[in-house]
Amino acid sequence: MPDLLQNVTTPAEISEAAAGLRQAVAARELSPSDVMAVFDSWAENLADPQLDDLPGIVFLRIWLRRSTLEPIIARELGSNGLQGGWTDYGRAKCKAFPLGVVGHWPAGNVSIQPLLSMTCALLGGNAALVRIPSGLVEVTSRLIEKLAQCDTGGVLTRRIFMAAFDHRQQDLQEAMAQAVDGAMIWGAEEAILRIRALPFPHWARVLVFGPRISVAAMDTGAWSDPSRQKPWCQRIARDVWQFDQQACSSPQVLFLEKGNGHSTAGFLRVLQRAFENENQAHPRRTIPPALTSAICQARASWLLADVGHQATFPKGPDWTLLVGSGSDIPKPVQGKTLTVLEVDNLLDAVSKFDGNVQTLGLGMDDPEREKQVACLAGRKGVDRIVKLGRMHVFVPPWDGVDLIRPMVRMVRHVSSTE
Amino acid sequence: MPLLDDRISSTLSVAPYGQPPDETQAALLDILKEELAYASQRHTRYRNYVEHWPVDYRSASRVSDLPYLPVGILKMNPPLSFVGANEIKRILTSSATTSQSPSRVALDSATSRRMTKGTAIILRDFVGPTRRPYLVVDTPFHLANGNGLGARAAAIQGLQPFASETVYCLRLNDEGELNLDRDRLSEFAQTHRDAEILVYGFTFILWNHLAKPLMAQGACLNLPKARVLHSGGWKRLQDQAVEKKDFNEGLARVVGCAPDRIIDFYGMVEAVGVVFPDCAEGNKHAPAFADVIIRNPLSLEPVRAGESGMVQVCSILPTSFPGNLLLTEDLATVVAYDGCPCGRRGTSFRFLGRVPKAELRGCGNLRINRSLPY
Repeated sequence: MPDLLQNVTTPAEISEAAAGLRQAVAARELSPSDVMAVFDSWAENLADPQLDDLPGIVFLRIWLRRSTLEPIIARELGSNGLQGGWTDYGRAKCKAFPLGVVGHWPAGNVSIQPLLSMTCALLGGNAALVRIPSGLVEVTSRLIEKLAQCDTGGVLTRRIFMAAFDHRQQDLQEAMAQAVDGAMIWGAEEAILRIRALPFPHWARVLVFGPRISVAAMDTGAWSDPSRQKPWCQRIARDVWQFDQQACSSPQVLFLEKGNGHSTAGFLRVLQRAFENENQAHPRRTIPPALTSAICQARASWLLADVGHQATFPKGPDWTLLVGSGSDIPKPVQGKTLTVLEVDNLLDAVSKFDGNVQTLGLGMDDPEREKQVACLAGRKGVDRIVKLGRMHVFVPPWDGVDLIRPMVRMVRHVSSTE
Repeated sequence: MPLLDDRISSTLSVAPYGQPPDETQAALLDILKEELAYASQRHTRYRNYVEHWPVDYRSASRVSDLPYLPVGILKMNPPLSFVGANEIKRILTSSATTSQSPSRVALDSATSRRMTKGTAIILRDFVGPTRRPYLVVDTPFHLANGNGLGARAAAIQGLQPFASETVYCLRLNDEGELNLDRDRLSEFAQTHRDAEILVYGFTFILWNHLAKPLMAQGACLNLPKARVLHSGGWKRLQDQAVEKKDFNEGLARVVGCAPDRIIDFYGMVEAVGVVFPDCAEGNKHAPAFADVIIRNPLSLEPVRAGESGMVQVCSILPTSFPGNLLLTEDLATVVAYDGCPCGRRGTSFRFLGRVPKAELRGCGNLRINRSLPY
């Protein structure tokens, strides 16, 4: 285990680590450009075939690229924000300063989330104190080691401390909360409520990314055109496969808008082949028996509920397509179980969204129709509307908020000399 | 159906653990296919499930390829049934200790009869055929429940074919708590001191309401020829961290018998009629009218000997509900596919426990409802 990631057993270890991080922030001002220079090297270092089997590694490499981050920083921190400079806002100038130490409580189901969350704080010039869920210690170790190898000067590594401890250790959770100036909290309802209740300092900014689900939808023109079915289906399969469909940005249901005389049977065959191919390329290596149980239960419940329901699945729990009709979002199953529902009008389905839908992945042929769907989706609480195949692309705003700006102070300067 | 019934009856008449595994498998495969066809004719939604199974059961060459249901599906209410409401004689319910809702199993008279017979055949192989005094470590209260029957009552009733007389040694106090009826217990012990007797109770009840009170007193019932059977699982003893060895020794001490006369058996309401007692080697076995398939959770294929996985119970006994091919929420290890030193043929396995519940941690685990301004 690299020094950056340590098993922590006492609150004092956390307080001590936080003090060190605070000193590192005070010692040197880092511009986003400085941070990105290290990220570039890290991304190159992550292009190691031995890491290819780690879920999300491709996303992490893309996220760390300067070409990904520069436009985000410019939008969130201002046009001079890249170099850590002041940006003109009318007669005033603004510049981002770090909050200090930002604590991260990532969810246990997305392997690269501790690192993604951490990078947001680092780009703002902060230090990062990251709690690593027990199931992610090994994968995080392998990834952070690559950063340690290329950041020999300690530009970033001096600003990172990763603490591995059981989430039930309340004294350590409290010590971590007391030591931070900002917090990024990800996860399910129970975890969010527990962490938000920790004794953060009164000045701490707390950013919450709570439990959500995501939905895919296509209009008739998109799914019924045989020449475009294969690429669309590959995109859907890719979105379902990432993070074993457990991320908030994973599609749980695909709505297909019915068209005059078009049968979905052909499209579903292509979708089945896409799932088979994706499974061949990216098979699961392990599965909790409880998930296998849930998948078997979902298959049986679906087919026993209605004689009109159909399903396609292999003998194993690898993937499942549950097919029917209706505009209600079914209970999410995860584990690569996609419910495909024919709907008369996509707007009927979107109008039933209740704020729990984070991302709407769209495959549309009619641009005007897409605008209508996007507008209604926004009103119904959807925070991201993207093309199918890009549902997990980690670009802010995420959950409707920026990722870097909330963890900086935007200092406004109106010159007294003018 | 009469032909199917005959075939099931004929399988019940063979030696339960004496058949070569290949012969048992072939016989089970044929009957289970017939039962699937019968059930599909009688239940359109069940047929929908079977017809979507990735392997056509009609051409399946292994029992493990036949369409199985997850046991959770039997929690549906009203219960899935292949017979008319007027033919249902009894609804069995599980104890529902792990989840909030119990399983419900609809029994017609034929299935009920076969299940009683199945349990008797299996237990006869372990405890012998004679009727003997039967001490139930429970109250008769659980049996008085109209047409419904809970897991404890079903297990108690399953042993009645071995009873010459039945005595219950627990009673409910005014607060509804179980208490040991010491007078009745002493009387039973004194009357049958030198006789072969049968004792049965749920595992946690035997420990909490018989073994612990008597151990605290240093008392012994002096019943050296007792056979003590228990079932229901260890979950409710988890907080006391009682190991199986300590359980057997402690119980044997208060009963006054040898620890090897204490037999743990695994069974479930959803597959009632098929129970799995421990043999002298500490393994469990499937009888000729049933099978156990341990499936790898990653592939759902049967595991190799020595490997562990999810337990599927296959049984030819039920025809009134879909209990023939059930994937349980239990884990077990296959010891061998044949050749247990105890002499029983076929698969031997060891029960490991329940499938751990998944912890809700991820950002995609949604349990809340929001409200929107629109």
